[in-house]
Amino acid sequence: MAQNVTNVSQTEEVSSTRRVIAASSVGTLIEWYDFYIFGTLAKIISEQFFPKDNPTAALLATLATFAAGFVIRPFGALFFGRLGDLIGRKYTFLVTLVIMGGSTFAIGLVPGYKTIGFFAPAIVFVLRLLQGLALGGEYGGAATYVAEHSPAGQRGFWTSFIQTTATLGLFLALGVILIVRQTLGVETFSDWGWRIPFLLSALLVGVSVFIRMKMSESPMFVKMKKEGKISANPLAESFKQKDNLKMVLIALLGATAGQGVVWYTGQFYALSFLQNACNVEFVQSNMIISIALLIGTPFFIIFGALSDKIGRKYIMMAGMLVAVIAYRPIYTMMYNEADLKQKTEMVEKTTVEIKEAVKGTDNIITTVTKKTFADGTSYKETKKETIPLDEVKKAELAAAGKLKPETKKETTLPQSIYIKMVGLVLIQVIFVTMVYGPIAAFLVEIFPTRIRYTSMSLPYHIGNGVFGGLVPLISTRLVEATRPAPGLPPADPLAGLWYPILIASVSFVIGMLYISNKTNNMDVE
Amino acid sequence: MSAIKKLFGIVWSLMGIGIVPLVIMQAMKEIAAKPSEENWIFWSIVIVVLMPIIAFSLITFGVFALKGEYDTIE
Repeated sequence: MAQNVTNVSQTEEVSSTRRVIAASSVGTLIEWYDFYIFGTLAKIISEQFFPKDNPTAALLATLATFAAGFVIRPFGALFFGRLGDLIGRKYTFLVTLVIMGGSTFAIGLVPGYKTIGFFAPAIVFVLRLLQGLALGGEYGGAATYVAEHSPAGQRGFWTSFIQTTATLGLFLALGVILIVRQTLGVETFSDWGWRIPFLLSALLVGVSVFIRMKMSESPMFVKMKKEGKISANPLAESFKQKDNLKMVLIALLGATAGQGVVWYTGQFYALSFLQNACNVEFVQSNMIISIALLIGTPFFIIFGALSDKIGRKYIMMAGMLVAVIAYRPIYTMMYNEADLKQKTEMVEKTTVEIKEAVKGTDNIITTVTKKTFADGTSYKETKKETIPLDEVKKAELAAAGKLKPETKKETTLPQSIYIKMVGLVLIQVIFVTMVYGPIAAFLVEIFPTRIRYTSMSLPYHIGNGVFGGLVPLISTRLVEATRPAPGLPPADPLAGLWYPILIASVSFVIGMLYISNKTNNMDVE
Repeated sequence: MSAIKKLFGIVWSLMGIGIVPLVIMQAMKEIAAKPSEENWIFWSIVIVVLMPIIAFSLITFGVFALKGEYDTIE
């Protein structure tokens, strides 16, 4: 009889934890989806809201990309973290979800620059800041909430579901964009169809808010509140008290900084490298990343669960170490597989098509060159020259060096290389799952309940947002530095990897020396 | 182990201190060579956002390590 009661109680506990995980994960996934569609559609958004010929709008475009991702996210972490430690986890991450969903939906409604002028980029900029603020508050809340519901000894396993959401959010964003783009066609998508992924957010957020409303507050927070142990000033307690500040620093330098660069390299830099260094065609490059993400996602849970058995530290450190060692060989293989210079061209199949059309005051010459290679690779180069009909204007532009043609290069890989590319990206996603799978459990366990939301959110968002988020900017810059002259290919297309390699190496050494592999029992202190 | 942790504390502190003049000098050199808007934005982000975080966290962390604050962590 007593055995039956225990079994029923255990079943109810597992079922309750599952509901908590599902409700928290869906909301966090949608927040990541919202955040990523802006980044993924950056080019179209830039054309719609931030015209290149307006320098202020162009500056806003840069700030919208970087400020929201880097500067605002830690502020969101501080603001909502403090709120979560004062009024509770449930209401705080409900608010972040509504802010994120509302601002994403609103971006889909903002008229373009052509319609309302400078107001368009200004409104989008503010909405993007709100997105960053909300994201800064969401993750810490979800991880803390799930961890505080999880049974001891299984925290790595249960929080790893939250860890899948960032990758699944990116996957969802890529998937929705690809489906809408393929359904409407490229032109309609660029015209107005890009708004659909943003507007869709309202529906997703609505469902998630409904689910989250039904959830109860974290049991640890409730207990702490009952006992009157809530922190009066979580910010001061988190960052002014030496005992806690030293843990914030160890979390940042020994874990989240390295995790951030590995995460961004394995997903965003890989996509950027495929598209820009390897010139792999848009749909194919996105498919390579999407398939690798989908296959790799269960490993978040595998490594999360494994961290309950062998500790968080060694899995995270192993992920950083293998990433540091393997990045250059992996990217060398990716580059070589797509390098046309190493392939045999079937010259008899090469076609060149030239089209000339007058559009307004310009003569537009489009040259499309198609090449086929012996291994099945096909290459398409579209060169578009816009030449003014007015000879004076033409001479002026030529003198200013502004008559350069726009060139678009698209390589379509054959099945065998396509599969290899998926495999090479998948290896990087596995590294991501090693460093990212156990990190939520690691972070929640090193901070006390009364200031957990605040203390864990800041190092996470600085590590992920600043160190990780700067990977595309710094890596692109490092590659550009090896370019002998404008227009010539870079001498070292892999130079961009030095930034994540350096940060992950330092993080590895700090983590190995100073992080404990022991997990604590996370009682209410 | 404690001795190694403390010794490395000096390394982290020196790295934190060293990064400031290194980044500023590199920024000045590159902006002087090519004062484009792109260059200004890049170095502004590095100097205003990244460098202070790295410098502050490495110096403070190094000092804590040197003082033996992390010696009890196994």
